[in-house]
Amino acid sequence: MIDYVLAAAALLTTPLLLTAIGGLINRLGGIVNLGLEAMMLTGAYVALAMSSATQSWLVALLAALAAGGAVGLLFSLAVTRLEANEIVAGVGLNVATAGLIGFILKDYYHSSGTIRLPDVVMLPRIVLPGVAQIPIAGAILSGKDPLTWLSWALVPITAFVLSRTRAGLRLRAAGAAREAATALGLRPLAIRDASTIVAGALAGLAGAQLSIGVVGVFSVGMSGGRAFIALAAFYFGRNRPGLTAVGAALFGLFDAIQIYLQGRGVAPELMQMLPYIVVLVVLTAIGVGERKRRLLQGV
Amino acid sequence: MSAAATAGVVRSPRRDWTALVDALAPFAVALIVGAILLAATGRNPFDVYGLMAREGFGGAGRLEATLTAATPILFTAIATAVSFRAGIFNVGVEGVFYLGGMAGAVVGFTLTSFPSPLLIVVELAAGALIGGLWLAAPALLRARLQVDEVVSTLMLNFIAANLTLYLVNGPFLAPGSANSATPMIVEAGWLPRIAPPSTLTLGFVIALILLALYALWDRLTPLGFEARLNGLNPRFSRAIGIDAPRLILKVMILSGAIGGLAGSAHALGVTHRFVVGFSPGYGWTGLAVALMGRNSAVGMLIGAIVFGALDSAGTTVQLFSDIPLEIVDVLQGVVTIFAVVRFGRLRGRRSAR
Repeated sequence: MIDYVLAAAALLTTPLLLTAIGGLINRLGGIVNLGLEAMMLTGAYVALAMSSATQSWLVALLAALAAGGAVGLLFSLAVTRLEANEIVAGVGLNVATAGLIGFILKDYYHSSGTIRLPDVVMLPRIVLPGVAQIPIAGAILSGKDPLTWLSWALVPITAFVLSRTRAGLRLRAAGAAREAATALGLRPLAIRDASTIVAGALAGLAGAQLSIGVVGVFSVGMSGGRAFIALAAFYFGRNRPGLTAVGAALFGLFDAIQIYLQGRGVAPELMQMLPYIVVLVVLTAIGVGERKRRLLQGV
Repeated sequence: MSAAATAGVVRSPRRDWTALVDALAPFAVALIVGAILLAATGRNPFDVYGLMAREGFGGAGRLEATLTAATPILFTAIATAVSFRAGIFNVGVEGVFYLGGMAGAVVGFTLTSFPSPLLIVVELAAGALIGGLWLAAPALLRARLQVDEVVSTLMLNFIAANLTLYLVNGPFLAPGSANSATPMIVEAGWLPRIAPPSTLTLGFVIALILLALYALWDRLTPLGFEARLNGLNPRFSRAIGIDAPRLILKVMILSGAIGGLAGSAHALGVTHRFVVGFSPGYGWTGLAVALMGRNSAVGMLIGAIVFGALDSAGTTVQLFSDIPLEIVDVLQGVVTIFAVVRFGRLRGRRSAR
C-alpha cells in the first residue's frame, strides 16, 4: 500500500513541480500568473496531437513546450505592454483557452470533451535495475518518465540560476525594482516576458505529462485546477525552489492518498482542500512571526 | 504583488476619447478573435454574430432571458466593486457565491413550515451572513498580519468550492438523487417571478436595488468616501485619521455579504437547490465586469447585461445551429483578458521607452 501511494505520489508531483517552478520564476520576474492552467491544458492537447501525428514522444514534448511558451508570451504581452490586470487576465485566459480547445474538440473531432487518438506514443518509463526492487526507494525512483527526472533536476538548477547567475539577478531586479532595473539599462518588461515564456513552457510540459505520460487521452478538464495547486506550492515555498519542491511533493502526496482513500470512507473533497488550507496556515504563521519581530524591534 | 495586481482597480474616470476607446477595446478584440475562429472553421462571423444579437436582445422573451442571466453577474460585480473601491483586491466573491447558494438551499429545504415571505428573507439572510463571516477572515489577516488578500481570498475560493462539493455529495445529498444535488427548496422559498410567464424573478429587482444603493454608498456615505480615499491613496487616508484595518474589515464583510446574497438569490430564483457546478465562474465574471465598468454603477450594469446576453444567446445558438457553445467562452474569456487594457496609451509609452 505504501509503495503504491508513493509511486503514484511521485507521478502526481511532476506536473505540480514543473508548473510551480515556472510560476515561481514568473513571480520573481514580477508577474503572478493565474493563466498557467491554460498553458498546461494547451500543452496537454498539443502533446497528444503531436504524439499521434509523429509517433515521437520527444517531438510531442518539444511541441508542448513551444505551445505553452507561446501562450505564455501572448499572456505576458497583454500584461506588460497593454497593462492588462494580471489576475483577471489570467482567469480570462483560462476561460478562453478551455473554450477554444473545447470548440476545436467539438468542431474537428466531433467529441464533447475527451479525445483518444490513434498511434499515440507515450512517454517512456525509466526502470532502474537494482533500485526497482528496493522497497519505498524503488517505488519513488523507478519506472518514472523523463519529465519527472527533469522536474527534480530543475530544482537545484533553478536555485543556482536565481541566486548565482547574472540572469537570475536581472530577473529578480526586474521583479522587485522595475525603476532601478531600468536605470541600470535593463529592459524589465522584456525580462518579464521571458520569465512568462519559461513559465508557460514548463506548464506546457506539465500538461504533456498528464496527456502522454499517464493516460494517453486528452480531455478538456484534464488540468483540473493543478496550476492552482502549483500556485499554492510556490506560495508555500515563499519563492525558494527547494521549499517549493517540498510543497509540490507534499501536495502530490495528498493527491495520491486521496485517490487511494476514495471509496474508503474519506471524502475526497475534504482532502482536496488541504493544499489551500496549508498555504493559509503558512501565510498566517509568517504574518504572526513578522508581527512579533516588528514588535520586538519596537517599530 | 499588491501594486502590480491592483493596477487598474482604482482609476479615476477619464472622460475623453482614450477612455471610450479603452472601454470598448475588450469587446472589439473579442469580436475579432471570435470572427477569426468562426471564419477559420468555415462559418460567416457576421451571420453568427447577427444570430447571437437576435437571440440575446430580439424580443421581450429573449431580453428577459438575458436579464435573468445578467442577474448573478450584476450581484457579483457589485460585491467585488465594494472592495475594489477601497483598494482591496478581493477575488473571493466566487467562493462566497458557492457558500451563499448552499446556505440558502439548506435553509430552503429545512425550514419548510415557514410562510413564504419570511422563508425567503431567512434564506437570503443566511447567504449574506455566511458570506460576510467568510470574508471577515482574509480581512483580519490583511489588516492585522499583512497577509496579501489576493492570495488568501484565492485560496479560500478553492476551500469554499470543495467544502460545498463535500456537503452536496455527503450530508446534504438529496436521497435517491443520481446527480449531486441537495433536495429542492420548498416552493414557498422560491423567489417569485415578477411577470409570469417570464423567467425573470425578484432576484433581478433586488440586484437593481443593490446597484442603486451601491451608487449612493459610493457617493454619499462616509464609509463609501473613506473607501474611495483609501483606494486612491492609502497613505493620505491614514494621515487624515482613517482607521484602515477597520475600513478593510467593514468593506470585506460588506463584499462577502453581497456575494453570499448573490449565491442564495441564484439558488432561490434559478436552480431551486444547490447542484454541482453551481457557479460557472460568476464571481470571476463579476470581477471582470467591475474592472471593466471602473466600479461605476452604470458601467457595471452595461457589462453585466452584455455578459448575460452572451450566456443566454450561446445556449440557444448551439441548439439551433452547429456552432459549439464554447464560442461564448472564447468571447467572454477574451473580453476578460483585455478588461482593463490601455490601448490609448500604447503609442506614448513606446516613445517613452
